[in-house]
Amino acid sequence: MECVVQGIIETQYVEALEILLQGLCGVNRERLRVHEICLKSGPNLGFVTSEVRLLCDLEQSEPTWTVKHVGGAMRGAGAEQISVLVRSMVESKASKNVLRLFYSLGYKLDHELLRVGFTFHFERAAQMTVTVSSVNKMLKLHATDEAVPVTPGIQMVEVTAPATSENYNEVVASVSSFCEYLAPLLHLSKPGVSTGVVPTAAAAAASLMSDGGGTTL
Amino acid sequence: MSVVYCHIFRRLISYNPYRKKSTTMPLKRVFFWQPNAGSTVNSQILNEVSQCVESINGVKEGRWKATLTFYKPMLRDQALSAEFPREFIGISLPEQPNKYYFVLRFNKIVLESDSSIQLIMEKLQSYKSRVALNFEGFQYQLGDFQLRVGKVVPSHSENLRGIVMEVEYLPISSLEKSKQIMEEFFDIWQDAISKRSLPGRFIHIEPDFSDYGLADHYTSQHTAVQYTHVTSQLIASVQAVQTGRN
Repeated sequence: MECVVQGIIETQYVEALEILLQGLCGVNRERLRVHEICLKSGPNLGFVTSEVRLLCDLEQSEPTWTVKHVGGAMRGAGAEQISVLVRSMVESKASKNVLRLFYSLGYKLDHELLRVGFTFHFERAAQMTVTVSSVNKMLKLHATDEAVPVTPGIQMVEVTAPATSENYNEVVASVSSFCEYLAPLLHLSKPGVSTGVVPTAAAAAASLMSDGGGTTL
Repeated sequence: MSVVYCHIFRRLISYNPYRKKSTTMPLKRVFFWQPNAGSTVNSQILNEVSQCVESINGVKEGRWKATLTFYKPMLRDQALSAEFPREFIGISLPEQPNKYYFVLRFNKIVLESDSSIQLIMEKLQSYKSRVALNFEGFQYQLGDFQLRVGKVVPSHSENLRGIVMEVEYLPISSLEKSKQIMEEFFDIWQDAISKRSLPGRFIHIEPDFSDYGLADHYTSQHTAVQYTHVTSQLIASVQAVQTGRN
């Protein structure tokens, strides 16, 4: 299970966001270059269509693979009232044959992306990860060296935090609280809820860049 | 044992008195019991095999268990089943409690993953567990060798379907470099077990690991492939006996 919020930011303000995050998280950023391959079950396989993501971390000297299943969001009146998405999520590290395996099992390529940017992994009442990345599409199959941005000039920001059915309320509160610190630069909300860029981003970014994050926003 | 074999045997089991284990994965060979024509596997044979290990100074160390699961595709149209893998197998090994292995024997694919991959497969609902086999028994230390002798039983039954034996040589991870010593050990073993006049013998048929993209350096993926092949050989052996009866 995980808690998730997303937002977008103009590329020109990413440096300011990095300064802010560096101050808030207290850890160094890590570079991100992940090839995300989204597979869907073929027409006859399974009584319902299933999807699975294969993530190939290209930042490592030897690419490493992760299988990720993102499940349905928590439902109900309580879920609708909270501003953070709570959904099931399971990951598994896998050896390099994983794409071949899933193709052989009857899964087909639905789409693929290349995410390039950086992440912060830190603990702030809950374990959290902030990812800032450009989302790129490949013009040729699996050609990560020839990827182009899906939305030039815009990058995606995602905050995720692992949770359990026992503690998700606390994790939601931690994520929400953290998001408030980023509010001058960007608005974070449930995936699929479009919010656009915030009008205060330019001023906030200028402030951060002028004194390297010393100013309280 | 003959005088010559006694000499070789002493050299084998005392090759390294401090039993230095390979810093990487020590290699192993998995054997399965092939009954003679007209006979079947039974628990008495399993007992005799275990006693034979102890008679050559194998020190019993504890229990072990591996599990092999056959997965079947969930299809909307069964007529299209030929489009999907004939054998999709999942394996858990005692030496890798946080890992799970998938093998597609006919596609020559082996995958190592975290155990959580089983939960992912459950959530996908595209493949489901059809039948599971447990390989379980005792393990023994014998100088630089570790032996595991085990019965093969369906997961919800005590019906003995087969007997397996793992021979692990601890100091070396190279398949090529270990060939001679493994063969010498097996000759000693054959000499010891043959004196019990059991109706069958242990067989090892080494899979072509390179077909699976596996190198000379031994890993748990090699073990997963061996268990897959041993299981298919066991099934063929059981079917041959049943055909003989009919």
